[in-house]
Amino acid sequence: MLRRPSALVAIVLTALVVAALLVPFVGGSYAIKFTTRVLVLAIFVISLDFLIGITGLVSFGHAMFFGLGAYSLYFISPQAEAANALVAFPAAILGAGVAAAIIGAFCVLTRGFYFIMVTLAFGQMLFSLFYTSRIAGGSDGAYINVKPEVALFGVTILDFDRRTAFYYFCLAALVLVYLGALGLARTPFGRVLQAIRRNEQRVGALGVNTYTHKLLSFVLAGAIAGFAGVLFATIDGYVTPDLFGWRQSGVAIMMVVLGGVGTLFGPILGALLYSAIEEVLKTGSWVGPIANHWSLGLGLILIAAVLAWPRGVAGLFETHAPPAPPGRDQPSGDLQAERPQRGKALAVEGLTRAFGGLVAVNDVSLKLAPNLVHGVIGPNGAGKTTFINVLTGALKPTAGRIRLDDEDISGRTPYAIARCGLGRSYQRTNIFLPFTVRENCLIAAHARHPSPFRLRAGKFAREEEHEIVHALAATGLSARADARASHLSHGEQRQLEIAMLLASGARLLILDEPLGGMGAEETGRVTALLRALSVNHTVVLIEHDMDAIFAAADTLTVLVEGKLLAHGKPEDIRRDPAVREAYLGRWGQEIVR
Amino acid sequence: MDLVLTQIFNGLQYGLLLFLAASGLTLILGIMGVINLSHGSFYMLGAYLSLTLTSLTGDIFLSLALGIPIAFAFGAAIEWLFIRHLYERDHLQQVLLTFGLILVFNEVQRILWGTFPHSVPIPSYLSGSVKLFGLMSYPNYRIAVAGLCVALALAMMFVIQRTKIGRMIRAGESNREMVEVLGIDTRLLFRFVFAAGVTLAAAGGIIAAPIESVYPGIGESVLITSLVVVVIGGIGSVRGAFVGALLIGLADAFGKVFLPEFATGLVYALMAAVLVARPGGLFGRA
Repeated sequence: MLRRPSALVAIVLTALVVAALLVPFVGGSYAIKFTTRVLVLAIFVISLDFLIGITGLVSFGHAMFFGLGAYSLYFISPQAEAANALVAFPAAILGAGVAAAIIGAFCVLTRGFYFIMVTLAFGQMLFSLFYTSRIAGGSDGAYINVKPEVALFGVTILDFDRRTAFYYFCLAALVLVYLGALGLARTPFGRVLQAIRRNEQRVGALGVNTYTHKLLSFVLAGAIAGFAGVLFATIDGYVTPDLFGWRQSGVAIMMVVLGGVGTLFGPILGALLYSAIEEVLKTGSWVGPIANHWSLGLGLILIAAVLAWPRGVAGLFETHAPPAPPGRDQPSGDLQAERPQRGKALAVEGLTRAFGGLVAVNDVSLKLAPNLVHGVIGPNGAGKTTFINVLTGALKPTAGRIRLDDEDISGRTPYAIARCGLGRSYQRTNIFLPFTVRENCLIAAHARHPSPFRLRAGKFAREEEHEIVHALAATGLSARADARASHLSHGEQRQLEIAMLLASGARLLILDEPLGGMGAEETGRVTALLRALSVNHTVVLIEHDMDAIFAAADTLTVLVEGKLLAHGKPEDIRRDPAVREAYLGRWGQEIVR
Repeated sequence: MDLVLTQIFNGLQYGLLLFLAASGLTLILGIMGVINLSHGSFYMLGAYLSLTLTSLTGDIFLSLALGIPIAFAFGAAIEWLFIRHLYERDHLQQVLLTFGLILVFNEVQRILWGTFPHSVPIPSYLSGSVKLFGLMSYPNYRIAVAGLCVALALAMMFVIQRTKIGRMIRAGESNREMVEVLGIDTRLLFRFVFAAGVTLAAAGGIIAAPIESVYPGIGESVLITSLVVVVIGGIGSVRGAFVGALLIGLADAFGKVFLPEFATGLVYALMAAVLVARPGGLFGRA
């Protein structure tokens, strides 16, 4: 998860700001103009990194908002006088933001490569609109005759026709945008975005509406890109359809990757480095006759950079946190809780899920009482995993009802169901590997109040902290709180899954093979944990380990070929002749013994 | 009526050319998992090979015969030099590296051939036009191009359906991870797929040169349009690329005549519409 920049990075960034402050004193107007461009491009690519590196949305059309911002200035500027930046700039930001909301509402529905392509397509649509039509000069572009100024009550405070004034304005804007983006990435909202980048499905299953989070991030990034665009148009007083084009978007991605994805400061270095290389290759006296072919050199340098520095320039500043000390606590379950809480009851009626002709879950009706451990067993292919996928909303039921306490949750989205208090773990460990144990639980705790507009931990901070401490203690992970999840043992990772469910506030836990791949000693500990958890929770357990499940469960449900074969107390199931015959088959005798 | 028929023919012929570029792109993406932004450059390579080879040999079809092995070798070399380092990398780095390749290829093109547009002569024996259905006349060469594209598409189908390497390609198309598990030498397979993709794109560039003329940046519009085709058809699906290419070809041809201001935008709007209806493309796995 994005941390505060290290001391080294802070020093480098401060030095860069100081150097930038000095540019107008030591450099001529050309140097000022060049640096202004770098500052503005840096703002643009920070917004892109917020999208790519924080949220995980690789947009190949981000320049469309840059272009829209630039063209807004053209549309707002009167023919022969200066536009007021106090009107024009917010208008550009708003315009780009609104456009991003409309375009994003569609784009964010897609994922991965398709998202790359759809954003590219929208960018190209806007490009061709401005290129082929006669809006604002069509393919020739258009001039903004008088540069904007900052005026209050008719008094000009900053005239952007003066290069230095505009230069310092851009520098201040970059510092603010960087600090703003960094701060935002470290709010509950930003942390959820980072979790979405790592594992969107998991965040959704914790009760977060990932669509609105991603859309809001897209809109924010678009608005900031619009701001960068309006600044860019101010530099030259000229707009061209190329600002929308895929090359512009491509160059922005280059700068982000060259600088270091997901670091927010890396893109600043990327913008600087890219522009500097381009400038040197174009004009440097020592490159002589090949200056005409500068993009050859640029291309080769980019290729070399990818191969040599996969993590970008920012990778050079990376410090490795020392690994957390190993430690092991006894999981306490809910036994330390002040007072027992009621878990949620689950009732399903006639639940059916078909895939074409194959009926994986067939007319299952079942009532699971609160604060007990319920086991679900069945041979491979019995429809157990489909059954929980339907319960949790990952699959829509073909028919039937699901009720959580008195609430009908059938057919709702996974995040809406999770918000009702139903939490699940996965058969294959499904956690945020690059984050620490505590951060994993923090994401889960944020899911209790998952408004995308939550920028401060605020009034929930104490409650969340309490839940995290409790969840870690309950699962015996307190000593490992600061270890990276990827450094945990397999058993610890499974425990972390349960800790995340506890931190998320779920009152009914569905655990898909939590004992899978565990040794005897670990199995014993986790089985005891599951028992202890039923003090405050209802636990639904799907397991292959027959000894463990018969020891842990209060009731057992047997699924065979999608149908409910039997449901009852373990000792009754053990004696049930139908179960013995139809399901237990070869190991039936052994269990009966 | 005349105009509609002509545009149908133009659209199909353009679509078939697009298919040559897009089929390679979709296989490279589907089987190798590489987003190859430099694919348009190979179309450009074909166009300029066509220019040089036709001026040397005097005939476009001789150029094609010579150009195909050159393009294949070139593709294999590019795979060995650059692309093979990308298999384990994420999409972003693929985008970055292949974008770098575009810059390099464009500049090399400027150095070798300059910035002026050139035209490539249509062979004299195909210079006329033929009357079709008694109501429209259509240039012979365009018909020949369409025929060649169909022949190349059929040859490709043959390779994919009937040969051992084709079986590997089909296996990779349906499940990329499985290919690696099955113990197929993916290095060889990937190099072949990449080189074949390059060859198809270059072949498109070679035979299109007399129709389109040859100019710098010719590959970029082909790249973007091919990417659209790949998305419409579904990643990795050659059949999807075929249908998508013809759809885009027709949309483009009709758009240019009936909605000239939005012809380019129309192509993207079509893609957006397909993705709303089928998020994984027409023939893709959603």
